[in-house]
Amino acid sequence: MTSMIYKRKSPLFVFLIPTFLMLAIFLYYPFVQNIINTIMNIGGLGRAADGMNTPWYVNYATLLKDPNMRTAMKNTCILILCTIVFQVGIALILALLVDTIRVGAQFFRTVYFFPIVISATALGLMFNLIFLYKGGMVNQLLLSMGALDSEIKSNGKMIVSWLDWKDQAHFLFTMFMPVMWQYVGFYFVIIVTGLNNINQDLFESASLDGADGWQKTRYITLPMLRNVLCTCLVLAITGALKVFDLPWVMFGAGMPQNQGWLTGTYMYDQTFNKMNVDYGSTIAVLIVVLGVVLSNVANRIFRPSEDY
Amino acid sequence: MKRKLALTLALTLAVGTQVMAAPVSLNVVTSYGGDDGNRANFEAAVAAYEAETGNTINDGSATSNEEWKAKVLTDFETGSEPDVLFFFTNADAEPFVTADKVVSIEEIRAEYPDYAANMKDSMLAVASDGKNYAVPSAGFWENMFVNKSVLDACGIAVPGPDYTWDQFLADCETIKENGYTPIACSLFEVPHYWFEFVVMNNGTIDNQLEVPTVDEEGKLVMDAVAEKWIAGLEDIKALYEAGYFPENTLTATDAETVELFGEGEAAFLIDGSWKVGYFVENHADTLEDYVVSYVPAKGERSASEAIGGISMGYFVTRKAWDDAEKRDAAVSFVSCLTSDEVLSTFVTTEVTALVNGASPAGLNALQQSAADANAAITGVVGAVQDTITGECKGDLFGNIQNVVTGSMTAEEAVESAIKLN
Repeated sequence: MTSMIYKRKSPLFVFLIPTFLMLAIFLYYPFVQNIINTIMNIGGLGRAADGMNTPWYVNYATLLKDPNMRTAMKNTCILILCTIVFQVGIALILALLVDTIRVGAQFFRTVYFFPIVISATALGLMFNLIFLYKGGMVNQLLLSMGALDSEIKSNGKMIVSWLDWKDQAHFLFTMFMPVMWQYVGFYFVIIVTGLNNINQDLFESASLDGADGWQKTRYITLPMLRNVLCTCLVLAITGALKVFDLPWVMFGAGMPQNQGWLTGTYMYDQTFNKMNVDYGSTIAVLIVVLGVVLSNVANRIFRPSEDY
Repeated sequence: MKRKLALTLALTLAVGTQVMAAPVSLNVVTSYGGDDGNRANFEAAVAAYEAETGNTINDGSATSNEEWKAKVLTDFETGSEPDVLFFFTNADAEPFVTADKVVSIEEIRAEYPDYAANMKDSMLAVASDGKNYAVPSAGFWENMFVNKSVLDACGIAVPGPDYTWDQFLADCETIKENGYTPIACSLFEVPHYWFEFVVMNNGTIDNQLEVPTVDEEGKLVMDAVAEKWIAGLEDIKALYEAGYFPENTLTATDAETVELFGEGEAAFLIDGSWKVGYFVENHADTLEDYVVSYVPAKGERSASEAIGGISMGYFVTRKAWDDAEKRDAAVSFVSCLTSDEVLSTFVTTEVTALVNGASPAGLNALQQSAADANAAITGVVGAVQDTITGECKGDLFGNIQNVVTGSMTAEEAVESAIKLN
């Protein structure tokens, strides 16, 4: 009876078709339509195309010349690097630390994962208050520590040189820090799960051989985590390309002075605010191409090993 | 006998259900969301309407900005428009007017003769097809709020209707020397209030609504209109370079800079009539510190000339009109929100299209100062930004930060925007 399931293939198709239909309607069709939109002249969302662009590749040519697009690409590349170093890096360190403690491990898992379940909009508003120019939490802290200049005028009014966390000198930190903070917990949980799957006998035999904590981490834990880390890195790189909500809530349209664009925020602004739908579609295509290329490169560099 | 009784009951019930309209649920979108000064009045009016009719209002209101306008237009494009919309009656409404997605007042009056009968027909906004679609609500004015406590601390008198640009610059310098911020404005988010007035300062009230043009090659035509726009942007740049805007004006939000003014850290704020309600709600304790004054003038313009008019109104969408269950509710909702009684709660000093006029009661200190300033107004004109496309507007105002920092010239900014008009 059991073997009949494998002999008769038709039931398998019945179960596969709904998912395929969903993918076709909500992923493949919009994707193909989006590519078509890049060569059309579309004056607003939901509007029919007003013929093809002249020449048809004008949006792709604009993409190469657009200074805001170059800024978006540069910032996104920096974000990818930060994601690899800080999100996955910090998550790995935290996971290794939590793995070594006997009491409270569950508490730390919950605490580190918590930012993931908070909406990015709420987080954006919270960080806006933290980095607020006048009277924000960070600036108040710096003032109380004497790190900000202040001056008392002849009329008794105190003037404080508040730090503008969103200006050209600081915006990258202010934009990326919350993004890093939000997703550390996600990779932390993946790595902790990987750590739990390592056979404890290996550590016990290493201990009998006289290995110390660092040696066990270096020669057992990290090699055994290789595949998990590869998955984390691929997820982090492709995820960084799509980052939108938190930076948008905190910085809006390209703050400061068109230096704060990411590929995601620039695509949104062009499509939904500027109503330049065909150009927004072209940016979307670029994001997809970048995602495919970078995830392939990451897969090749961090190829999962069959040894573990 | 029993059969006859049952038949009579059934008929009565059947007729009864047809005569008594069942409560319906209306989707309504307005700009009375967020911290709008009339939010509480709108909520009260909606609650009264719901209690009276039994209908339910699904309120999708939000704060009015370019993003909100784009979202409303997108909803129309994708067929998910509301039943009743409170929106701008200028060029912003053209996409859904030309697509026949809203119903004209004339068409509604054919079935409901008393619809908008309390409004002066001459003041109804006229669309590009010559028809009236929106029932107007309260109008607006834009002028300069001043914080009297800051001026007092700096030994400066509250500006009058003869306030000049040179006096203003001197006052700004004094205010800055005393450790206050002269002008509360986010050049990142809301440079348009200043843009309107600096353009008028370099032109006249009569040619305020003229828009520059580009030639066939996309080059800006350097006529008087283009020159006054460029000169206006240069004036904003001069104020920025003199350090009269907040230090973080390029990264601050409108809410932050308005708060700077509200807390007595900044002296001047150009904003609209809607901001009166904001101060009443959020700074009731210091309301007497705020005065509505006049925007400094230069050239041919007088400081007593301001921006104003009626730019928004209630639209009944075709979708609601064609729905037999919603038609009556949509019409009655608009009639309720634009009745003399309800509009009088929204109005303090704004102009209305009401035949009988609004009768606001119990003006507070700020509202009284606004009424006094309006009484001395010698000319009002609409905002020139309402005559250009959203794409053009977005580009122009987005580039003001580049103009003031010198990464783009004023001429380049105007040309870039007008190419999109």
